[in-house]
Amino acid sequence: MQHSDRYFTKIVDDTRQFFRSPGLVAVTTTAAILIFLFIVFPIGSVLQKSLTVSYPTVSIHYRHNIATPGDLEKKLIQPVMAVLSSVPGLVKSNVVRKDPQTVLILLRFEKFWDDLKGLNDAKRAIRPIQATIEPLIEEVKYKLSKERIYSTETYKDFFANSYYWHSLRNSIILAVVSTTIITVIAFCLAYVGLRGPRGARGPLRMIGLLPLVAPPFIFSLSLILLGGRSGIITKLFDLDFNLYGWPGVIIAQVITFLPLGYLMIENILRSLGTNMEDAATDMGATDYDILFKITIPLSFPGILKAALLVFLLSIADFGNPMLISGNVHFLATDAYLYWVGENNLEMAAVFCVFLIVPSMLMFIIHEFILKGKSYTTIGGKPQQGEERSIPSKILYPMLAVVIPVSMVIIACFGMIFLGAFTKILMINNAFTLEHFNSPNGIRALITSLKFALGAACIAPLFGVTLSYILIRKRIPFKRVLEFLSLLGFAVPGTVMGVGYILAFNTPPIKLTGTFLIMIINEAFRNLSVSLEAGSSKLHQIDVAIEEAAFDMGASAMKTFFKIVLPLISSALLAGFIYTFMVGMIAVSAVIFLISPGNDLAALYILAVAEQGMLGMACAISIMLIAVVLLCLGALKLVARYTRTEVY
Amino acid sequence: MADHERSTVLEIQNLTKRFGRMTAVDNVSFLLENGKLMTFVGPSGCGKTTLLRMISGLTEPTEGQIVLDGEDITFLRANARDTAMVFQNYALFPHMTVSQNIGFGLQIRKKPKDEVKSEVERLLELVQLQGLGDRKTQQLSGGQQQRVALARALSLHPKILLLDEPLSNLDANLRVMMREEIRKLQEQLHLSIIFVTHDQEEAMSISDILVVMNNGIVKQIGSPTEIYERPIDEFVANFVGYINFFAGTVYSLSGDEMIFRTEHGDLAIQQPPMQVSPGDRLKAVIRPESIGIARPGHQTDAGKNVIEGCVVSNMYIGAIIRYTIAVGDQMVYSLNSLPWIFLPKLCLLL
Ligand SMILES: Nc1ncnc2c1ncn2[C@@H]1O[C@H](COP(=O)(O)OP(=O)(O)OP(=O)(O)O)[C@@H](O)[C@H]1O
Ligand SMILES: [Mg+2]
Repeated sequence: MQHSDRYFTKIVDDTRQFFRSPGLVAVTTTAAILIFLFIVFPIGSVLQKSLTVSYPTVSIHYRHNIATPGDLEKKLIQPVMAVLSSVPGLVKSNVVRKDPQTVLILLRFEKFWDDLKGLNDAKRAIRPIQATIEPLIEEVKYKLSKERIYSTETYKDFFANSYYWHSLRNSIILAVVSTTIITVIAFCLAYVGLRGPRGARGPLRMIGLLPLVAPPFIFSLSLILLGGRSGIITKLFDLDFNLYGWPGVIIAQVITFLPLGYLMIENILRSLGTNMEDAATDMGATDYDILFKITIPLSFPGILKAALLVFLLSIADFGNPMLISGNVHFLATDAYLYWVGENNLEMAAVFCVFLIVPSMLMFIIHEFILKGKSYTTIGGKPQQGEERSIPSKILYPMLAVVIPVSMVIIACFGMIFLGAFTKILMINNAFTLEHFNSPNGIRALITSLKFALGAACIAPLFGVTLSYILIRKRIPFKRVLEFLSLLGFAVPGTVMGVGYILAFNTPPIKLTGTFLIMIINEAFRNLSVSLEAGSSKLHQIDVAIEEAAFDMGASAMKTFFKIVLPLISSALLAGFIYTFMVGMIAVSAVIFLISPGNDLAALYILAVAEQGMLGMACAISIMLIAVVLLCLGALKLVARYTRTEVY
Repeated sequence: MADHERSTVLEIQNLTKRFGRMTAVDNVSFLLENGKLMTFVGPSGCGKTTLLRMISGLTEPTEGQIVLDGEDITFLRANARDTAMVFQNYALFPHMTVSQNIGFGLQIRKKPKDEVKSEVERLLELVQLQGLGDRKTQQLSGGQQQRVALARALSLHPKILLLDEPLSNLDANLRVMMREEIRKLQEQLHLSIIFVTHDQEEAMSISDILVVMNNGIVKQIGSPTEIYERPIDEFVANFVGYINFFAGTVYSLSGDEMIFRTEHGDLAIQQPPMQVSPGDRLKAVIRPESIGIARPGHQTDAGKNVIEGCVVSNMYIGAIIRYTIAVGDQMVYSLNSLPWIFLPKLCLLL
């Protein structure tokens, strides 16, 4: 009672304070509207869509003179349904009461059956009995996908057919398996990279981070070259086996998402320091004891956090399943297929919902349950103790994990180069540069550059400003605003793509088909990184500095622009770099929003690879990586020149 | 000029600040005269900073009124107030040079460039930082940063200067030097200053008026001498360095004096500032340096207020010796610079 009371007064107090500064109200309201419009609204649209059906319908308005529901059933519905059952291709017909004067008959035709033709057939079938039902009705309407009603029909469908729900099952299995493997490998890699043989540390770190610069599906590409139906290994050893399906997707995902897991776990191990392990040794613990009873339990919350993030990425992954899944189906890609291939918007929306649910679950665990739960702070600062080296009985098993993985990563990169410079790998191995001669590819690269730069201009500015008002200002319902702004990241890209089409396809805000909507989508999906960068920087800056400026007569706006912004410029730059890099290799959401003439490099590579032009795909990938590295180098120079520190 | 100046620059009336259910500053009222240096002093968490921030406008009062130079500024925001604050860790703008820091307020007010420049030069000279204007603030020592913060605050000729523990980040010697400098500056420029500290010695040595606070409440307001000689209660007494307490009852009153009966004997002492009558239970305090020591049987200087005790320990503090003396089951402390030393275990008279 007391508690809720206090919470309430706090909200009231915050609100009162808040409305006393009109500038803050204006900025916050704008931010809230933008977040609502570009994050919440699209997700809501997906949810709404998943709960509606829009079949071809026959809608019958009947007259008041039908006395009882029984009458209605006997005299009107039964005869109509009887004649409709003869319509060819009809799978199912459902009767729904819309209002007291209307019955709707939803018709469901076989897959790929032409709805329009079916509807005409229905019209023709009803015509003979028109005369007998005439006295009862006012009018009969035939509508093609016009009538939209709320229904859980699509969900029922989803669970009724194994080819639908198997995708969900597969996606979850994939995410669990990939996450587990990645966590183990990343731990070994980080452990050996930090404490292993000195000479191996640098290279291991390099290898761990190498996949970061590549487009997210590039490893599928090289795996196909390596072990696809006519891959090097498959051909060389004349194997019956190929990597398409589960093995391919899992290997590709493991490599793709390894850097993230590696970075996070390395960070944890580093901050753990060695003093607690030293203490354990001192008390007579064996090396195994220390690893399994000290190191792993201590770093467990951090590792769990890393695993949750990897899970999010794995379940949202689009490119790898697209290229190498063979005939195994996954949620994110199937949503796209139902959307684009079959125009089955409702089913695509339902797929999206099943993408949202596990992601949200992980996100909520990450944000609310694990937040701040880390043992690394207990020991204080990492203390520079006597360096610990790994005993060989732990080192060797770890090396047995690390070395093969490193070799696969290097092989994958090698394959890309090999593929790019040979005519057709394993068929005609002559050296060639012709794959690089792709005007469309280069045009797509330029578009990608514009796209990534556009997003990288919006996201950091908005994200960092948002972090400022969230951290420094008293705003009512602050936590809600923060949560919603992070949603764009937590929800898989496929969902955001579908959501944007659903939300912005009709006036008042019709944006689909424009370049702008692609940029906005990318910016808002990556808001969270700039937000985090801004927050962590702001936490380092003493509030008194801003208060001093305010006390000297600067307005809130002047304080922000003259004091705060220069001080957190490094966060802006970090946000810029991240958004730019991610934008250059974006696939999953933009694939829904792409418009003719605005092809992006990563999407173009995907399309080319799907058509089997692997050489060209490799070549454009190399150009893409080169452009990204070049831009990063330039930014580093700028940063050094302006003495802005980057994380 | 002087005729137009008000004698009261700041008037605080019933100022209260609550954070949730916690009252940080509780119904505080006082006046500050023009050109005086006032100190808020009290233990950590007693509400000094909160009170100061309410005066500067950085914290909004829950109740009460603040009048600056005849104008009610209770609801004026910090950037519109004629007050200037020096923060505990100086809060210099790290991305600006010393000159830019000092000139910030003037620049915000869109003063012409050369005017800002000459004013900054003048201020640099005032705080003895000539020639350091182009340095980055991180390249300055703690004391120099302190001066920059001071100059920045002075740049706008505030009606009142607010200093929140400005010296706590400096080492002991520098602290004494800086506080003398601040005092000199204050006298030279006829500034009205509020100075926050939790160091009673600092407070005693620098201020015209002391405000002793505890738990959000003002315990006593007065000049250092007043507070030192007539502390109003045990808390204030303790705070200004009294550590010897004797509980007892008022036995009789005569003129300025009263006879105070304790378990160790009767004491003839000065009447306290408040009204007392015989039979009241009180505590008497005595400063350690007011306690003289003599061997049993020796004639003492005062000839009265003699209590017997036993030296438990002695400790040198510079040229003086601090004795811990057991009187009954109570410990009494005495500071003495006697030519001979009393060793522990030696019983003696107070
Ligand atoms: N923003 C705030 N929210 C909640 N409580 C606060 C806030 N600011 C201060 N307090 C509380 O008000 C009380 C007074 O704090 P204040 O900072 O004024 O103390 P102080 O006398 O300056 O202490 P110190 O000598 O340590 O600086 C403290 O108990 C503090 O916890
Ligand atoms: Mg304080």
